[in-house]
Amino acid sequence: MLAFMSTLFFTACSNDDDFVAETPDSETPGTENPDPEEPRGDYDNGILVLNEGGTGSVTYISEDLASVDQEIFQTVNRGDDLGAYVQSIFFDEEKAYIISNGSNLITVVNRYTFELLGKVDAGLSVPRYGVAMNGKLYVTNQADFATTADDYVAVINQETLLVENSVIIGDAVESIEEENGILYIQNATYGAGNKISVFNPTSSIVEATFTTNDALNSIEIENGSLFALSGNKLQKFNLTTQALESEIDLNYTQDGGSISAGNLEIEDENIYFTASNKVYTMALNATTAPVNALITYQTSSEYGVMYGFEVEDDRIFIGDGGDFASNSFVEIYDLNGTLLKNVEVGLAPNGFYFND
Amino acid sequence: MKYFIFTFLLSLCAFQAFAQNDSINVLEEVLLSSKKLEQFSTGQSLTTFTDSTFIKNDPLLTSFLNYNTPVYFKENGLGMVSSPSFRGTTAQQTAVVWNGININSQFNGQTDFNTLSIAGYDEVSVKPGGGSVLYGTGAIGGTIHLNNNLDFDPKYQHQVHFSYGSFHTYDARYGWKLSKNNWSVAIDLSRNQSENDYEYPDDKGKNRNGQFYQQAINTNIGYQINKNNTLKFYSQFIDGERHFSLIRKSDTKTKYQDINNRNLLEWERSFGKFLSVTRAAYLEERYKYFGNLSTQNYSFAEAKTYIWKYDLQYKPTSNSLINGIASYQNTQGKGSSLGNNKREVTSFSLLGKHQLSPKLTYDVAFRKEISHSYESPLLYSLGVIYDIASFYDLKLNFSKNFRMPTFNDLYWEGSGNTSLKAEQSHQVEVGNIFKFKNATINITGFYNDINDMIRWLPSNNSVWVPDNVDAVKTYGGELLADYSYTWNQQKLAFASTFSYTISKNINTSKFLIYVPKTKTTFSAIYEWHRWFLDYQFLYTGEVFTRTDNNSKYNLDAYTVSNLGAGFQLDKNNNNVIGIRTKNIFNKAYQSVENRYMPGFNLNFYITLNF
Repeated sequence: MLAFMSTLFFTACSNDDDFVAETPDSETPGTENPDPEEPRGDYDNGILVLNEGGTGSVTYISEDLASVDQEIFQTVNRGDDLGAYVQSIFFDEEKAYIISNGSNLITVVNRYTFELLGKVDAGLSVPRYGVAMNGKLYVTNQADFATTADDYVAVINQETLLVENSVIIGDAVESIEEENGILYIQNATYGAGNKISVFNPTSSIVEATFTTNDALNSIEIENGSLFALSGNKLQKFNLTTQALESEIDLNYTQDGGSISAGNLEIEDENIYFTASNKVYTMALNATTAPVNALITYQTSSEYGVMYGFEVEDDRIFIGDGGDFASNSFVEIYDLNGTLLKNVEVGLAPNGFYFND
Repeated sequence: MKYFIFTFLLSLCAFQAFAQNDSINVLEEVLLSSKKLEQFSTGQSLTTFTDSTFIKNDPLLTSFLNYNTPVYFKENGLGMVSSPSFRGTTAQQTAVVWNGININSQFNGQTDFNTLSIAGYDEVSVKPGGGSVLYGTGAIGGTIHLNNNLDFDPKYQHQVHFSYGSFHTYDARYGWKLSKNNWSVAIDLSRNQSENDYEYPDDKGKNRNGQFYQQAINTNIGYQINKNNTLKFYSQFIDGERHFSLIRKSDTKTKYQDINNRNLLEWERSFGKFLSVTRAAYLEERYKYFGNLSTQNYSFAEAKTYIWKYDLQYKPTSNSLINGIASYQNTQGKGSSLGNNKREVTSFSLLGKHQLSPKLTYDVAFRKEISHSYESPLLYSLGVIYDIASFYDLKLNFSKNFRMPTFNDLYWEGSGNTSLKAEQSHQVEVGNIFKFKNATINITGFYNDINDMIRWLPSNNSVWVPDNVDAVKTYGGELLADYSYTWNQQKLAFASTFSYTISKNINTSKFLIYVPKTKTTFSAIYEWHRWFLDYQFLYTGEVFTRTDNNSKYNLDAYTVSNLGAGFQLDKNNNNVIGIRTKNIFNKAYQSVENRYMPGFNLNFYITLNF
């Protein structure tokens, strides 16, 4: 019984990985909204906070941080829910795909109105992250926790929402990024792993791998480079050749013990990452690690410190996991480290997504 | 001496005696002379049920205790994982004791009450409050006792029980007893199973992947060597498989298999003013958890436990008793996340009971455990009964109890914390027992202070580590009442329990989740000639499901009513056929968030004795 419960807990405690939301606006061709001033739904112009929950939920915070709506999916779709342990959301134009790793479910909604559009409820086994590309959805699935040999990418038809193909990757899978038609899959999860697979969706083959430092936890792709953050190193690789170009050692301590760095974010030529309850920043081309923290936030959480983290629109977003059994909070800071707002949200906020 | 035993037994038991044959869901009193349970429960309440009530109930222990005692149960659906909460404490703080041996799992320290069936036992007793002095770890909120009684009165009997009901639920039991010359043998076989595919309310679908079975064989043999020496052997083998029901159609299908094998050999010897009992036990528990039924992979653990116990009682005078007990327990455990580990515990107990005057009896007890795996506090208990008036007894009990860290707490791969301390609890209870011609009323108040509660909390690597972090205070009261009246060829009997419990985390000042403030049970039986009608009612109050007590997420209070009817084919032999209808008002209720229980359902049963 405890084995079972422990595996659920491990699911709940994964580090959130970076995800940059697509932001359709009036300059992008093919957008649905002809009038840029008219909101496209109740939940336009704001931030979506994903609460992992026992049963997941989404909190909406308006752009000006003035209004907050809890459980917006349940409000719009009475009697329905998002499934157990929602892991992440990915987008394609106006569609949002909300992944529940505990119920093997992806709920498709309109990202502005949150009306239900469909569900993927077959063919998934502990789905974690996904991307949409060329009419298909590529979603990483961890399947059995006891082995990484069965981890796979589910290829889902975007129209029918049926899984067409399951490609075994041969290593652990976690976050997935798309760049120029190629998918990059992090082969590291729960503090273990050191590879990134380069997956070609046309051929369905892993064509190359990056080898990083151990305990890889987050990656970002920027300007033809792949940045990989493990507990104590930030590495920069050439995206096409997988060659290591440079690396910086990170040695942060707290209360006499060393703490690992995680939650890599790159925004507007700056790198951000966290260690325990602190946020650090440095320039994209910096060669030494920052010494002082930009932000230190107050938390009493025993195991949910910095459970969600995102940098977007000149603001820094921190999600606190709390005790995983009651509502928790998020904090929003400006880039100087000044606290703008503390907002109560649902259980275990693990991600931030943006409608603007 | 006989007066002494008789008085304290009567005052210990909370309920009036009923004739053996005609109770259905009514509590009965059993008079036995040498069980440690009754002797040293001074100041506490003891409720005992016998096998004549078991036949007319569903086999799983959860449902039996939920409808008849103040213990609260939360179940992840019918037949699924079931955890008790006794006086607001956790599932690990209730000890299940089989023929005097504590059988909570070595791995997680608790017992899943849906893995226990009432078939195969002669009596089930429930004792709220502390019991660590006698029964060791985990006896903080209360203890549940599963006992087989071997007596040597000549007999030769078979009993067959069969029931079939909704959701393809079968329950079959066969018991055979033979007592002749100096031998007594009892063998019980049972199997119960269910497809468990009930409908959820409001068209939420069916209970999927909930099928389960459990089969057991209980063998009990006694041999009376001579007037002063008796040998007894108790053995059980239980094998079960449960699929864990899904909340949503797309959830991963899982299942759980468990096997328990328990063996106990006892040699009782009386000489002069002494009574010595030597015991040797071997227990084996094994489980396999299949995390995804589309693969064959599973995680597992097994534990083998050897116990030796020597128990010596001395009666210096006719109204006093001294008891010394020494025991040694050796457990070896291994599992897919445990590695191979061993734990040894040696314990010494000293108990004394004294009847100061015809109206006043008290007992004092101490226990000390010695083990390399954890520090155990000195445990003690003091109980008093004061027979104030012929119809009124006052009971007092004060005790210190504990719970040792489990194998999972100590040795789980990468997380086990071998410097864990045992949980400690101090508690006090006051009981008022009123006995009238046709009725009994028991009003008890309790207070329990628990420290160093073990909680699993992860460190900064997303790896979970157990630590002694919590402090909990629980207090409240229980009211137990029953009434019975017989006239002409009719009988009417009522039994009721009511409990009020406050359970708070001292550090956060919040109420514990899944502890209802109030719970009520009520049962009524009407007999007319050979017909009977019985009604059961359960009310469980609202519970919090969030640690910040956000009431928006509370589970609603619920009531459930069951109605049964039957006919005694042959009153002397207790041959019965009957029908039980459950949840007759088809109420939708959940005892765990998102886990619905069945609506209206029924079963037919027949019991034959020959």
